[in-house]
Amino acid sequence: MRLQTEYAIETVNLTKTYKSKIPNTGRFSRRTASVNAVDNLSLNIKKGELFGLLGPNGAGKTTLVKILCTLLPPDQGTTIVNGFDVLKQPMRVKQSIGTIFSVGERGFFWRLSGYSNLEFFAAINNVPRSGRRQRIMEVLELVGLEEKAFEVFQKYSGGMKRKLALARALLADPPILLLDEPTTGLDVTSSRNIRDFIKNDLSKKHGKTILYTTHYIEEVSQMCDRVGIMNKGRIIALDTPGALKGMAKKGEVADITVKNMSEMQVNSLRHVAGVSGLTAEVQDSVLGQTRLRVRLENVDALPTVLGFFFREKIKLVNFRQEEPTLEDAFIELTGTGGNP
Amino acid sequence: MTLAQELDKIYYFMKRDIISFSTYKTNILLSIVSALFGALSYAFWGANASMPSVQNLGMPVVTYLLIGLAFNTYLSQSLTLVQRTINPWSLEEVLVSPTGLVTFIVGSSLWGFIWSTLVIVIYLSVGVFAFGVILSINIVGTIIVVGLGIGTFIGFSMIGAGVLILTKQGDPVTTIITLATNLFGNVLFPISVMPLPLQIISFFVPQYYFFTCIRPMLIGQGIGAILPDLAILGVMCAIILPVGYLAYAWCLKMARKNGTLSWF
Repeated sequence: MRLQTEYAIETVNLTKTYKSKIPNTGRFSRRTASVNAVDNLSLNIKKGELFGLLGPNGAGKTTLVKILCTLLPPDQGTTIVNGFDVLKQPMRVKQSIGTIFSVGERGFFWRLSGYSNLEFFAAINNVPRSGRRQRIMEVLELVGLEEKAFEVFQKYSGGMKRKLALARALLADPPILLLDEPTTGLDVTSSRNIRDFIKNDLSKKHGKTILYTTHYIEEVSQMCDRVGIMNKGRIIALDTPGALKGMAKKGEVADITVKNMSEMQVNSLRHVAGVSGLTAEVQDSVLGQTRLRVRLENVDALPTVLGFFFREKIKLVNFRQEEPTLEDAFIELTGTGGNP
Repeated sequence: MTLAQELDKIYYFMKRDIISFSTYKTNILLSIVSALFGALSYAFWGANASMPSVQNLGMPVVTYLLIGLAFNTYLSQSLTLVQRTINPWSLEEVLVSPTGLVTFIVGSSLWGFIWSTLVIVIYLSVGVFAFGVILSINIVGTIIVVGLGIGTFIGFSMIGAGVLILTKQGDPVTTIITLATNLFGNVLFPISVMPLPLQIISFFVPQYYFFTCIRPMLIGQGIGAILPDLAILGVMCAIILPVGYLAYAWCLKMARKNGTLSWF
């Protein structure tokens, strides 16, 4: 029986715990540690919504996707997908979803053409035989691979492989798409093309409900209706990208590029009065340039910070004062120090 | 899920495997050459060997050896069929589709069996055309014996695949069954040449009953001649096949529960 609901995806108190043997506790020891990959998670995604799930590695995003697509049984809680319970009606759930896993291209058969791969997946996903060829060509055209349809998969570029994974997810025309890091490992252009296609075609034009997981902040901030920030198995913040930016503590952000700044000097800067947060990343190792993102308690702290650079004889290459971004909110909420 | 849908899926599993297989042209050629050389080596040996224990069975040594060798290939194929289907990423893609486990196993195995049948034809053709082996095939009997043999070995294969999915460290079941087949299976020599304690072990090994039954079926004897051994093989198949399926399904369920399906 199908549950009538306004949501495409609903989870209530969902929990998944992994057990693993504790290393170095003796050869015959059976001591295990438990990790809550998904921890008492309740989440509703509306029909037709493009929902972004952002989190650092190990946050539990892939585990959640695997539960939603019936691959992983949860330990506790309820999960309803398209009105069907994942534990009680797995076949109906499978017929309602299209999935891309983060290592999607490995699920293809490398010596078959793109078309033959889709022909196989169309058959196992119950796409009717009579309209199968037409449907395969439709989805290939949709992702822009129609001219490469009969080329062997192993000759496809990374971007083409991801597009074929999208085409595969669309074969049975499911109302819900679960896209687990679909742009991982792609170059900037391919990644943007896929994001545009997901937002403009799949979401806006075809009205699909999409759960899009990523650890790239810019992706979700540009394309999603709502974003959930996940950390240690829990959703720690959930709102529109704009509202989440506002969750970052009030204050100022100074985006500064410096030359030849040592690690010790970076640590010293953290303790300067008025600095409430700091992330640093090497921007150009040849030129010795480091990009700093300094969170200030208020604008009055700025002269003190600039005085620090003057005292330490650190050359500023670039300086910009900004409003807090989604990245700032993410770092503040997950405590990942700018390395999601 | 209708029968037509499931047959359609099985067809596309097979089509996938045939296309993949056909791209390994050198491998195909080597398989055929290997089968020819294997058949010739054993045929020359068998044609010039004197084995009273075999001749007592009422067939020339060369016939005995070639049938043993040909059908051992078949059983070896069955034994590794399920393991070869468990590429973790492909497995995940199939498991998130509305495809049942039985369809998946049958579909993934079918081309392997068809290819093995072609290899059997090579072995037996060498015997018939080059060494004067006379075959008179009891078709119904052969189908029954081969069906029970394959069923039993797929049962073993599913147990092995289940162990592999759970432990991710290789599969001891396949090794043990292969060793048991070589020594106790009546493949290349009758068990009567072994000491009595080893002969007794053979009576607990399904391979022994398979090879004891298949040879008479290929030299024109009736099912009545093998009925007691066939019945034991049938009972063993009836136990091992469902046990294998349940073991495989349980191991798959545990790997899914533990989230370790794609860990090997």
